[in-house]
Amino acid sequence: MTQAEIKLCSLLLQEHFGEIVEKIGTHLIKTGSQPLRVIANDTGMSLDQVKKALCVLIQHNLVTYQLQKRGFVEYEAPCSRVLRILRYPRYIYTAKTLYSDMGELIVEELLLNGKMTMSAAVQKVANRLTETMEDGKTMDYGEVSNTFVRLADTHFIQRCPMAPETTETSDAPPPPAPTLAVNEKDMYVVPNLNLIGKGKRRRSFDDEDNGEHKAKRQKQDADSEEPPPDDGIYWQANIDRFHQHFRDQAIVSAVANRMDQTSSEIVRTMLRMSEITTSSNAPYTQPLSSNEIFRSLPAGYNIVKQILDQYLTLLADDPLEFVGKSGDSGGGMYVINLHKALATLATATLESIVQERFGSRCARIFRLLLRKKHLEQKQVEDFAMIPAKEAKDMLYKMLSENFVSLQEIPKTPDHAPSRTFYLYTVNTLSSARMLLHRCYKSVANLIERRQYETKENKRLLEKSQRVEAILASMQATGAEEVQLQEIEEMITAPERQQLENLKRNVNKIDASENQVDETIFVLQSYIESTVRKL
Amino acid sequence: MAGSGKGRGRAAFTFNIEAIGFAKGETLPEVAFKPPPLFPTTDFKPVPLKMGEEEDYMLALKQEFRASMKKMPYFMRKEDENQGIEKYSKKYLQMKKESMEWTPDWRRLPREMKPRKKTKKAGGKTKKAKVATPKSNVDVLKKIEELEKKGDEEKSDEEKEKEKDKEGEEEEEAAAAANEQEEYDEEEHEEENDYIASYFEDGDDFGAGSDDNMDEATY
Repeated sequence: MTQAEIKLCSLLLQEHFGEIVEKIGTHLIKTGSQPLRVIANDTGMSLDQVKKALCVLIQHNLVTYQLQKRGFVEYEAPCSRVLRILRYPRYIYTAKTLYSDMGELIVEELLLNGKMTMSAAVQKVANRLTETMEDGKTMDYGEVSNTFVRLADTHFIQRCPMAPETTETSDAPPPPAPTLAVNEKDMYVVPNLNLIGKGKRRRSFDDEDNGEHKAKRQKQDADSEEPPPDDGIYWQANIDRFHQHFRDQAIVSAVANRMDQTSSEIVRTMLRMSEITTSSNAPYTQPLSSNEIFRSLPAGYNIVKQILDQYLTLLADDPLEFVGKSGDSGGGMYVINLHKALATLATATLESIVQERFGSRCARIFRLLLRKKHLEQKQVEDFAMIPAKEAKDMLYKMLSENFVSLQEIPKTPDHAPSRTFYLYTVNTLSSARMLLHRCYKSVANLIERRQYETKENKRLLEKSQRVEAILASMQATGAEEVQLQEIEEMITAPERQQLENLKRNVNKIDASENQVDETIFVLQSYIESTVRKL
Repeated sequence: MAGSGKGRGRAAFTFNIEAIGFAKGETLPEVAFKPPPLFPTTDFKPVPLKMGEEEDYMLALKQEFRASMKKMPYFMRKEDENQGIEKYSKKYLQMKKESMEWTPDWRRLPREMKPRKKTKKAGGKTKKAKVATPKSNVDVLKKIEELEKKGDEEKSDEEKEKEKDKEGEEEEEAAAAANEQEEYDEEEHEEENDYIASYFEDGDDFGAGSDDNMDEATY
């Protein structure tokens, strides 16, 4: 973990959990795993505050704990997990595209709360949906829990590791920390719940019916006196599964850009078939025969078997090697080379960054090096067909920015420069690492800039919020148009302009954060997949 | 003169300077003594951001998520220390109560996480830390209020109890679990105290031991 990563973690924690949690979390990220009292001591915060902050972080799966041999508990905050907060909007959006509003709200609630029981999540989502519906209509729990089950079936949400059953009869004191166990079998098994009910609308808290309301609430609560049947079974968003989905999408769209819509549809079908059977970090999908693929093609797609075979041969012959042929049985067995696909995506990202930063001629040199692996300076000048002086200039610029690396091969043991080969090359892995680091830095910079912008205009923002609140309350009581206009004019024209400016800037920065994260995802998946292979 | 100067300069290199792109007689760039500029000029302007429905929706989601995170009970605001006594008005207390509605599932957490000094109800536990300082103030305020409206007192107490009940139930923290917790606690009291004592003793011992060692070593 680098300084840039720590900085970004700290900003993310601060924005989402406040300063106290941020302090504890950042401390843990910096120091690695530590026991409770050391954390309190080192951060100089009260024990109770530290405890609460840790509870929050554990609830959100950002901190894990482990029982040490000597009987104390150590807490650890994995940096990589904290950085995923940046990707939350994309997870929610994906859930929406796959499972519409209900899926969106379920995943959003799970991310907002870290982990939830199914009954609580379903109830909350039903209530929220009911609130957005027209008067008199309500959302049924059954529908929401159906979507929940579908999300679990496709592994987008999973059970949290379970706490052991507490045995109250045993004489021995319980261990200082429960050992959470993952039961592979029920990871995605939804408890058999009979959730009946409808979403409730939040009632307005008017003073007059406060008492009545309370009585009602109490009566309702009395009904649910018993613990929910799925007590203790918590669910969380399965981040790895989401990443797998992002990766598949990227591969499909890459194939579509490279060849055509039909071939991308074939690749999509292959990926969908191996979604559950292949683990999210495998380098290859399971081999699929062309007959199987033919059967699984979406119904509306009428291509004959012969055409499919031609497409598959074409895909397997493509120099990108996204699809590989692994055997001839069953009409030809095909796999998707996931590692190769990720590497290709990352390389394309590198190329495009070089092109945008240094111009197309530099990009030509860069691509040349990628293809020829090792080249001497003279060869670069010749192959790239760029005048020697300019080519040198570009090469040195990329060398100093670490996009290109230099390999010395001495002819004699004294490393004399005149008797040494200097070979230029592109080390994709280290360049990707360097760029990833830069991405983290730029997101941290973006967040800081956004906070600065907001802080500078704090007074104005507060004012506009106040005015809006007044307007809303007056509208509710049915004030006259003139009065409303009068209040609206409390914000002057230049102020309005300033507010608009601010809003535009903040939106732009937020959008940039989201889009940098897409690059982060590509680079990170490539690095992870390569490291796993080594 | 210049030529000889150049000649001397040239001689400092052990290799042919033309190989790295300097023509004969060309002056070498000056040595840089300062760091590169903080905001270097960019040769190429960045491409505009992707725009579209997807991006807009994601942007809205991001901003909404950030805003709702701030309203969650998990968001721990730093207490403003120099807040006057009158700030602890009813409204303030109510706001606080709202953010209290969260009890972690203690079964999933290490036992030391549970606050030691505790009241019987489930809701207040986590908040103990925050209330620690202002508590005296609140007490004073409460006293004053009590004196002010002795008549109303009973009623409000009832209400409070109701609220507490509700809290407990809402957080699907079952009554059974609460009992369990209390049982835990008795043990925990002793245990934790033992643990702490030994912890510090250990520390002291080590400290002393290492000091001794140091002394021996140095003197």
